[in-house]
Formats: sequence, C-alpha cells, structure tokens
Amino acid sequence: MKTPAWRYVEDLLAGRKPRPFKASEDEAAEVRAAILLRSEQDSGEPSEEFVAALRDRLADELAEQPAPSTGGRRRFVKITTAAAAAAAAGAVIDHALITQTAAAPEKQNLVPDNGEWRAVVASTDLPDGSVRPFDLGAVTGFLRRRGGEVSAVSAICTHLGCRLRLDAPERKLNCPCHRTSFNVDGSLAEHELPVAPAPLPSLLVRESGGHVEVFVPPPA
Amino acid sequence: MGERAESQHERQRAEPRGLHLVGQDVYADWEAVYRDNVGRIHRLMYAKVGNRPDAEDLTTEVFLTALKPLRVTASVGEVRSYLLATARTVLAEYWRRTLGRAVTTLDEELGISTPEPVPENPIAPARAAAILAALPERYRRILELRFLGACSLREAADEMGVTVGNAKVLQHRALRQAATVAEGMLS
Repeated sequence: MKTPAWRYVEDLLAGRKPRPFKASEDEAAEVRAAILLRSEQDSGEPSEEFVAALRDRLADELAEQPAPSTGGRRRFVKITTAAAAAAAAGAVIDHALITQTAAAPEKQNLVPDNGEWRAVVASTDLPDGSVRPFDLGAVTGFLRRRGGEVSAVSAICTHLGCRLRLDAPERKLNCPCHRTSFNVDGSLAEHELPVAPAPLPSLLVRESGGHVEVFVPPPA
Repeated sequence: MGERAESQHERQRAEPRGLHLVGQDVYADWEAVYRDNVGRIHRLMYAKVGNRPDAEDLTTEVFLTALKPLRVTASVGEVRSYLLATARTVLAEYWRRTLGRAVTTLDEELGISTPEPVPENPIAPARAAAILAALPERYRRILELRFLGACSLREAADEMGVTVGNAKVLQHRALRQAATVAEGMLS
C-alpha cells in the first residue's frame, strides 16, 4: 500500500520534501487534508538561517542586474511619496553601493600540481552521447563524449561532498544527500539549498592509445 | 514627484542601515520589503504546502521573482498584495508541476489582503479542529497521533492496539474522510 499519495503524506509528516506524482482528485484531496492538519502543528515561521541566506542571495541577485544606464540599480527603488522618499533616499543609495558582495560561484578546473595520465576506459566504450562514471580512488568523476569530444567532471557534490549518482536516462548527476542535481556537463540542474552550489569542477581528460585518460594526482 | 524625491534626498543624511521602514506607507528599499514580508510569505506557503523545504523554495521563488521588477513607488499595502499575487502564481505553478492539480490556492487570501497585512494561516487551526471533531473516534485518534502527536506509524499502532498494517489502513481512510469533511466545509 505504499502508494505515491501515502509516501507524500509520510514525507509531510517527516518534514521532508515530498515527491511529485500524478495525483487523482481523491489523492489531491487527501494531500490537502494532510497539509491542513500538518500546518496546524507549526506556525511556519521561517528559520533564521533561511531568512539570512535568502537575504544574501537576493543581495547577490540584485547586484548582478545589469545597470546599463545611469543608476540602473537605484532605479529599483524609486519612491514617490516625497516626504517618505526624502527620509529614505539616503539609505537607498547607501544600499546600492554596498550590495556588490560575493559573486556567484564559478566553475573551476581540478588540475593536480603534478600527476599522471591514467587510462579509465577504452575509447570504444565511450560512444558519442554517452556518460560513464569512473573511480580512480583519489578522483571520481563522470566521463562524457559529445560531438566526439571527451570531457569529465568531478563526481563530488560541491555542497557537502557527497558522491553523485548518475541518472543515465535523465542525464543528471544526483546528490543523494540533499536532492541537488547537476547536468552531465557539470552545471547545476536543481537544488533545494538556500544558496546555489557551484558547478562541478572539470577534470583534465584526453584520448591516447585507444583509451580515455584522466589526469590524476600521483599515488601517495 | 520622483524627481522631487531625488533632489530632496541630497539634503538627507544617510539612514543607519538595518531599519528602513519609513513612515507608515512606503518601504525604504528592497531589504525593508524583504524583512517585513519574508515571515508572512513563508508562513502562508507553509500553510499551503505543509513542509518546510518546499515552503522555503517557494518563498525564495516569490522574492526572486517579485523583487527585481519591483519599484517601491507603491504603498506598503500595494507591495504586500503584489507579493501575495506573486505568491499565488508561484503556488499554482508548484502544484501544476508536482501533483498536476491545484491542491491548495492562495485565492481566498488574495481577496482579503489589501491594504491590511495578510492574516496568517487564518483558518487552519480552527478548521483542522473542526475536521477532526467531525470524524469517527478511531479516525480522529489515528490522525491526532500521527499529525498532532508526532507518533511514528508503529507508535500510533501500539497506542491504538492494532497492527501497523491496520494503522496504515486506518490512517489512509481517516485522511480520505477528513478530505471529504473539509470539502463539505468549504462548500
């Protein structure tokens, strides 16, 4: 009797993010009743961490807005009630100047200071369009061939370091810890975290002697 | 009026940061909008989805969507109803995406919003109690144990002297009946 609706309700009870499913009208009503009962138990006050993290994220987002003409950011807050505006404008400008905070996380390359090329898989085993996990101990990742080009990204989630799993049909790399997922090119696909984790670092990769090789640190 | 405001601000000293709400009618900047509304939007979303991860995601989406185009030329009440309208759309899209049905909406809240603050989760407690009261004893009991008492399924089963399997069936039926009762109360 572990229907999707049942699982949904159990997720609600456990405080987890419930999984989507195609609900019938009855199931939707059941979920609605569960939400109603559930939300009585909690005022739904946001956590301080969430409020602070979202504030920071908004500051980043607003700072990233293009400001082609003069005062692009200032335009965001324009107040028409003159008296209030007079009192507020100082603060507005002040804010416009200070929101240039940390930039969004950028993609990086993982290149050991010294290392060696290690064969991971035969070139023929990585046909065009395919994605394959590999594990070389110190380095785990996913190989991908697209348009003949081979590339590789790390298999370690940039959030808390959990090992990602390949969902081949969806072409996604899923984190088992917080339901974060990345695209096979390493870019972030989905996350439920207050701050978006960085994309997956790329690894150095080449084809040589009929093998796909990855550049890894030397054995300790 | 905007120009007048611009020229006037030059005479003003910068406000200390952190407290931006000026007068009763307008927000000073996006942070003031955020601080005044984040709790309200989150509570509303929580009441509508019943879990924190989703409530946080949806709150995030509301502010990301609403703040960029927002010009704070509007009164506090107008800003709030704009946020609420955004929240309504975000919630509708969430249900479309997840269960394919509008399980809950913010329609009622929208009608009574401006310019007063949105009543927070206005009817849930009363309604939940009324729904429970309308259920047969055993249905009410299992839902109380699981939803209000935070019991696991096994604990609830032990408490009621039934097997886990029975408790499961009981919970399922109780929720279905609660849904029917809730529907009846709405219409």
